[in-house]
Amino acid sequence: MRQFVARRLGYSLLSLLLLSLTIFFFVRVTGDPAALLVEPGASDDDIAAIHQQFGLDKPLWVQYGLFMLNLFRGDFGQSFYYQTPVLSLYFDRLPNSLLLASVAMAFSLIVGIPTGILAAVRVGRLWDSVGKLFALLGLSLPSFFVGLLLIMLFSVYLGWLPSSGSGGVLHILMPAFALGWYFAASHMRLTRSSMLDVLGSEYIKLARLKGLPQALVIGKHAFKNALIPVVTLAGINLVLMINVAVVVETVFAWPGVGRLLYEGISFRDFPVVQGVVIMGGAMIVAANLLVDIAYAVIDPRIRVEK
Amino acid sequence: MTTRREVLTLAALGMAASAVQPAKAAAPSGQLTVGVHITLAPTWLDPAETAGIITPFMVLYALHDAVAKPMPQGNPAPSLAESWSATEDGLSYEFVLRKDAKFHNGEPVTADDVKFSFERYRGAAHGLLKDRVASVETPDAQRVVFKLKNPWPDFITFYAVASGAGWVVPRKYVEKVGEDGFKKAPIGAGPYKFVSFTPGIELVLEAFEQYWRKPPSIKRIVLRVIPDESTRLAALKNGEVDIAYSIRAELAEELQRTPGLTLRPTVGSAPYYLYFPEQWDAKSPWYDHRVRLATKYALDYNTINKALTLGYSHITGSIMPENFEFYDKLPAPVYDPDKARQLLADAGHAGGFDAGFYTCDAAYANLGEAALNYLGEVGIRAKLRPLERAAFFKGYADKKYKNIIQGASGAFGNAATRLEEFVVKGGNYAYGSYPEIDELFPLQAVELDHAKRAAILAKMQRLLDERTMYVSIWQLAFISGVGPRVAQPGFGLIKGFVYTAPYEDITLKGA
Repeated sequence: MRQFVARRLGYSLLSLLLLSLTIFFFVRVTGDPAALLVEPGASDDDIAAIHQQFGLDKPLWVQYGLFMLNLFRGDFGQSFYYQTPVLSLYFDRLPNSLLLASVAMAFSLIVGIPTGILAAVRVGRLWDSVGKLFALLGLSLPSFFVGLLLIMLFSVYLGWLPSSGSGGVLHILMPAFALGWYFAASHMRLTRSSMLDVLGSEYIKLARLKGLPQALVIGKHAFKNALIPVVTLAGINLVLMINVAVVVETVFAWPGVGRLLYEGISFRDFPVVQGVVIMGGAMIVAANLLVDIAYAVIDPRIRVEK
Repeated sequence: MTTRREVLTLAALGMAASAVQPAKAAAPSGQLTVGVHITLAPTWLDPAETAGIITPFMVLYALHDAVAKPMPQGNPAPSLAESWSATEDGLSYEFVLRKDAKFHNGEPVTADDVKFSFERYRGAAHGLLKDRVASVETPDAQRVVFKLKNPWPDFITFYAVASGAGWVVPRKYVEKVGEDGFKKAPIGAGPYKFVSFTPGIELVLEAFEQYWRKPPSIKRIVLRVIPDESTRLAALKNGEVDIAYSIRAELAEELQRTPGLTLRPTVGSAPYYLYFPEQWDAKSPWYDHRVRLATKYALDYNTINKALTLGYSHITGSIMPENFEFYDKLPAPVYDPDKARQLLADAGHAGGFDAGFYTCDAAYANLGEAALNYLGEVGIRAKLRPLERAAFFKGYADKKYKNIIQGASGAFGNAATRLEEFVVKGGNYAYGSYPEIDELFPLQAVELDHAKRAAILAKMQRLLDERTMYVSIWQLAFISGVGPRVAQPGFGLIKGFVYTAPYEDITLKGA
């Protein structure tokens, strides 16, 4: 088991190293951040001063070396735009993202799971079609479009909800819905297919032959087993919701890490983009590592096979 | 012996600025929320970090004050200084500070603070200022004297307009709390005090009732970042914000149609133009002056303006912003496609010609598309090449483009600084130059007589127009929306400044 965990940990660290290398060089392909910090027509001296201030005048490999050295010390650098440590910015925004992701996840599960069960139980009938349409719209409508429609309806026409910002319960409803719908649709689809698999299994047939009521067969015997892949997916989705809600957070001016990433990209704020991507990557790698270890604990064959 | 110049005029301006102070003003009340289009940065809380862009001044005008700064009374007008004067030889500038100016902690603004702020300044043009200023002397608490190494007629422009070097911070406080401490809790001498700041999200300010010019009318101002334009407009419609910056095109039309909301266009300091980098190459069609002139007549400026900025941009014949010192008003271009075709025919292009690429900043490709259609109508056939902003300006400065460039500049300065960058030999964005313009440039640079210098610079601008070195299009309008609670939003009070200011002049209805 120890060897398995060590090997998995090694892969995880290697993934993060590759991620740091990729993001460091890719972000620099986007252009010169100094150009966005001065007006067009600014003097060469002003631009050179900015390069020097941010260490962009050094060779690329030196910049990467310094970046990694600082990273090992837990220092993600200083934002070009905010002139503030990246970690401090990240942790200031993280609670907002956690809150939004939690509410959006709750919404996606509350809506997605029952709809998926209903679609599986009523397969090929009206509820199944309604469920499929819900999933189709959720997966295909862009979240910025959903967000703007919600704002037009609930803020501008009805005046029930604030259009943007944070601070109260009402502020979170629209962004959580816009973010959660996509994931609700994917949870619905997975619940439906997982339920269909389970409902076709021998032990469910046996339960029905024994004359157990439908509600008991579905609710007790089928649901629990069908839920396992949904919960696994929900765990990974939660990490994604925290880190990639860029569009929703921007449309609703929600102060989370997704918006921080958007700001970093907009201003070519390399340390911010690197920091947010690496922190997000670390969360995803950690979640996968935990899942791998959990599987290995549950099923010893996995340790041997891998 | 030194002869004082300008002092009477500027002292009068100072008195005029002071005169707006009412005998007894009502206590500030209410809150104004501004939906800001761009992310607020902590560096904007500190004048020492002022970059060469206009956006930090959105915050500086509230929180801080300058020795002199652009104001409704003048550009620049006396502020913390009630007057200034220059010696006849142009080597020394003396500022006399007003006695009633205070920082938010109650301490008076002194000459020592002015000197400290200048020496601490590290923003745009700091190298230029520090290279040319030999020393800063403070003979007493109210007087500051800047000694220059050589005469520099643009000293006031750079000190009071084109940088943040003249904005004053309290020396004792900065030394006590340190640089980071100052950014976290800045103290200034402006009309509003710092309350709280969440980077990128929100800045909250509260009225400083001892502000020397007059106490602000509004108790609290909140600058809230709402990056999405549609959401900003929705927030304005919903009454969540009172002012929404940057509402463009179709959304601006919607704003105009919405009862209770007001559209407030402000013309900024960024003229847009066409430039022909091959006009010095005898083999190029652009070498022929008639072809460049045909381009000027080919564009329907008013229709483009109405379509893209609801007609609020200013059609201009100059590459200088109207609010620049030494700006010389040139005739606005007119649309005459027949004349354009005739000029092309006279130049040997009766059937038109393939003009290659029309390179522009992708953010303004809509202007490029409209211009290309009109150019095509008269026979100048070009292909649009929109480039991402930074890449566009780098290629422009590296002199990599050919054919037609659609450029713009919002850099601070005056007509001389703009000519230096874009027109005369060696300029960062000058692909070539005309000797008759070049030879005038050094003459104005050492001319201390303002009228004579203005005459030289006006002549240079007219020569520029006669050669059709550039085809100017417009000075872009920045469109904002104002909600029903606001009586005086402050737009356009300071010429060329696109945001709401001075903050102490903003009022709410019924306040």
